[in-house]
Amino acid sequence: MVARAKTLSADEAFLKRLFRSYYEKWNEKPPKDFEKREFAFMMTKEGEMVRHKSFSEWSEVKEFLRRNAPLHVFYSSAYYLNPDAPDMDSKEWLGADLIFDIDVDHIPTPCKEKHDTWTCLNCGFAGRGMPPEECPNCSSKRIEVKTWFCDECLLVAKEEAMKLIEDFLIADFGFSTSEITVAFSGRRGFHVHVESDVVKELDQRARREIVDYVKGVGLAIAEGRGRVLIPPLTAPGWFGRVSRGVYEILSGRSIDELASSLGLKATKKFREGVELLTSSLERAEDFQALPSGLRKMWKVLVDKAVQEKRCEVDERVTTDIKRLIRMPGSLHGGSGLIVTKLSVKELETFDPLRQAVAFKKGYVKVRVHEMPEIRFLDDVWGPFRNEVVEIPAGLAVYLICSGNATIVKGGVRAC
Amino acid sequence: MMFSKVDAAKYPFIKLASKLVEDFDQRLGLEVIASPGSDVLKRSVERIREAVYVKSTSFFREDLDVEVLSYPLALLIVKAVGDSRLFNLYAEAEKNRVFLNMLSESSSKVVALARDGFDWEVLEDGGKLKLKFNNYLEVAPALLDPYWKLVNRSLRYGYVEVSKRELARLIAEAFRSKILKRIEELDLSTVPGFLKPTVDMVRNEVLSALPKADINYEVSEFRPSALPPCIAQLLKDAEEGKNIPHMARFTLATFLISIGKRPEEVLEVFRRLPDFDEAKTLYHLRHVAGEIGSRTKYVPPSCATLRTFGLCVSPDDVCSKVRHPLAYYKLKLRRIQHGGKGKNAVS
Ligand code: SF4
Ligand SMILES: [Zn+2]
Ligand SMILES: [Zn+2]
Repeated sequence: MVARAKTLSADEAFLKRLFRSYYEKWNEKPPKDFEKREFAFMMTKEGEMVRHKSFSEWSEVKEFLRRNAPLHVFYSSAYYLNPDAPDMDSKEWLGADLIFDIDVDHIPTPCKEKHDTWTCLNCGFAGRGMPPEECPNCSSKRIEVKTWFCDECLLVAKEEAMKLIEDFLIADFGFSTSEITVAFSGRRGFHVHVESDVVKELDQRARREIVDYVKGVGLAIAEGRGRVLIPPLTAPGWFGRVSRGVYEILSGRSIDELASSLGLKATKKFREGVELLTSSLERAEDFQALPSGLRKMWKVLVDKAVQEKRCEVDERVTTDIKRLIRMPGSLHGGSGLIVTKLSVKELETFDPLRQAVAFKKGYVKVRVHEMPEIRFLDDVWGPFRNEVVEIPAGLAVYLICSGNATIVKGGVRAC
Repeated sequence: MMFSKVDAAKYPFIKLASKLVEDFDQRLGLEVIASPGSDVLKRSVERIREAVYVKSTSFFREDLDVEVLSYPLALLIVKAVGDSRLFNLYAEAEKNRVFLNMLSESSSKVVALARDGFDWEVLEDGGKLKLKFNNYLEVAPALLDPYWKLVNRSLRYGYVEVSKRELARLIAEAFRSKILKRIEELDLSTVPGFLKPTVDMVRNEVLSALPKADINYEVSEFRPSALPPCIAQLLKDAEEGKNIPHMARFTLATFLISIGKRPEEVLEVFRRLPDFDEAKTLYHLRHVAGEIGSRTKYVPPSCATLRTFGLCVSPDDVCSKVRHPLAYYKLKLRRIQHGGKGKNAVS
C-alpha cells in the first residue's frame, strides 16, 4: 500500500470500501502508449499526490488500483522516455496528446444563480451564481464555492463539446472521429482528447495558436483600416463561420428584435442595411466588398457571431504540454462518478447521473447538509437541508465525495 | 522533383545539399576542403561578411561545389566566433537569400522544396497551395503578426491555404530556425586547429560591426542553473503569472536579451502576466534589444540598483564576487563549463 491516513473516518472508510469494490471488477482499456506516460494518484482527500509512477504492463495498473482504491487517478497527456523519473528534466518529453477541457465552471449559465453559491472565507460575505475573482466586501481571494451540475449545465457543456468536435476538430483541423475521445470529467464538463501523430510534437506556442483558433482570439475579420471584405458563407475556417453566424443572426428574428439585441436603433437606414447585407451574403460566391456605410453594423454583427460560434475551453489545459489529466474509466473522488469514456455519438444522449453512476445497488442513511432537487437514476430526490435521509448508495457517494453529506452511525446496510 | 546542383547551391536545406557535402567530406576531408587559402574557406568568410554588412548572402554560379561546401563551413566558423548576435545575424541573412531565390521559382518548385527540406505536407489543389496545419504551426507563431495567426487563415480539413509567396516565407523562416538549431548543436571540438586564425580574424573584424551592446558580456547560452538568484526569482514570478513591477520587468527583459534571447522568445516569458499585451510588450522588447528606436541595446541594472529596488533576493556565495547580475551569469557559466571539459577547444 502506498499511502494511507492513519485512521480513516467513517465517510472515508465507506468510500474506500466502495471504490475498492469498483476497481475489483475494473476492466478499462489502456490509453495509447500507456507505458510512456506518467501516472499519478491521490489516495485520500488530504493526502499528497503520489506521482512519477509508470507501468510497463496494463495488468499492473489494474493491480495497483485494486490494491489502493485511490480517490483520484491521473495520467500525463505527455509521453516520456523515462516517465517515472522524479523531475521533469530527466523525464525527456517525447510528445503529448492535444487536450481540451470544457468545464461549466468557466461558462456563465443562467441556472448558476439558482444552484451555485459562494462564501468569502475571510469575512463571510456570500452570494449566488458565478463566484467573483475576489470578495467584493473585503477583497480577499479565499472564496469557497458550492456548485451543482444541473440538466441545463449538462446541456451547455454538451453543446460546447459538440461544437468543438464537429465544427473545429473535424471540419477545420481534419481529425477523424477515431482520433478523438471524449470523457465526462467526473464533475461539470468534458475532456476531449486528440491522440494523433499530427499533434504529438506540437510545442506550447503551436498549441496556443490552436486554442486561440477555437476561442476566436485575435480574429481580424472585421478589423483593418482598408477595405473590409465579406466572406462567402462557404468560405473555409473562421471566414465562412463568421458569415454564417451573421446570416443566422440576421434571418432569425424581426427587425425590432434584431435592433434591440444589437443595441442599435431600428431606423429606416438600419432596415435597409439589414436587407443589403442579407442579400449580399445569400448571393456571394466569393469575397466581396462591404457595401459602404455598413462598417459599424458589420462589426457589431461579427462580434456577436464570434461570441456564438467560438468555443469556451480552458486554455491552460491545452497549452500545458505536461499536464496530468484524469484517466477515463477511473472514479472522480470529488463526485464518486465514473470519468466515462464516450464516443462522439454517445455524447449526445449521455446522462451522468445514470451512465456515470458506479454504485447502483443498496441504500445508505446519511445526514445531508444541503442539496437541491436531484434526479438520480430513475427517481427524484430532495431538496434536503440538514436532515437524515435514506438514499441510494450511489447518490450518497456523490454527496459525501462533494462534501454535502456524512454517513450516520449504523447507516450503511448492504450495498 | 529532381533537384540539380544549382538547387543544392541555392537551397542548403535540401537533402541533395547535405549529400554533396557528405561525399566531399568523405573523399577529401575538411582539412583539404577548407585548407588555408582555399576557395571554400574564402567563400565561407565572405558569406559571413555579407551577412554582417549586407544582411543577406549572395549566390555565385561560378563554382557550385564551392557554393555548396562553404555553407556548413561558415556555420562552423560562426559557432567558433561564439557570439549570439552573430548567430542571429547569420541565420537571418541566409534566410533572406533563400526567400528571394524562391520568389523566382515556380509554384511546384517551392512545394518540392518544402517537401524535401522540411518533410512538409503540401497539396497543390487547382491553383491553390495547402499546407498541413501542424507544419504551418512549426513556424507561423514566430512571425508574430495577426496576419499569420491561424485564426485568420483559411483552414479546412487540416490544411491551411497559402500563396506561393507565403509558402516561401514559411520555408525561409523554417530554414532560419534550423540554422540556429544547427549552430547550437555544433560541437566545437570538431573545429580543427588550422581554422583558428580564420576564426580569430573574423571575430576581430566582425564583432565591432555587430549591433552595439553597452557592456561587453557576450554569452550565448541559456542555462537556467547559471542564473543569479534575483533573475531566477523574477523568471519564476513571471511564469506563475504574478503581476511584477515595472523595474522588475525591465530587469528580466534586458537580462534575457543580453544573454542572447530574441525578443520573440522573451515575449513568451511575459505571456502569463495579468496585463499582458502582446503587441505592446513586443514593441518594448525590440526597443530594449536595440532592434528599433534609438538602436542602443539596454543592459540590466547593477546589483546595487537591484538592491535599492528590493529585487536582490537571497544572494549566494557567487554574488559576493560580482557587482552585476550578468557578471554572475558569466562566472557561473564558466564554472559549469569548466566541469564539462574540452568543450571550448577553439576559444
Ligand atoms: S547580488 Fe546581484 S546577482 Fe546576486 S542576487 Fe543580488 S542582484 Fe542578483
Ligand atoms: Zn470577504
Ligand atoms: Zn445548472
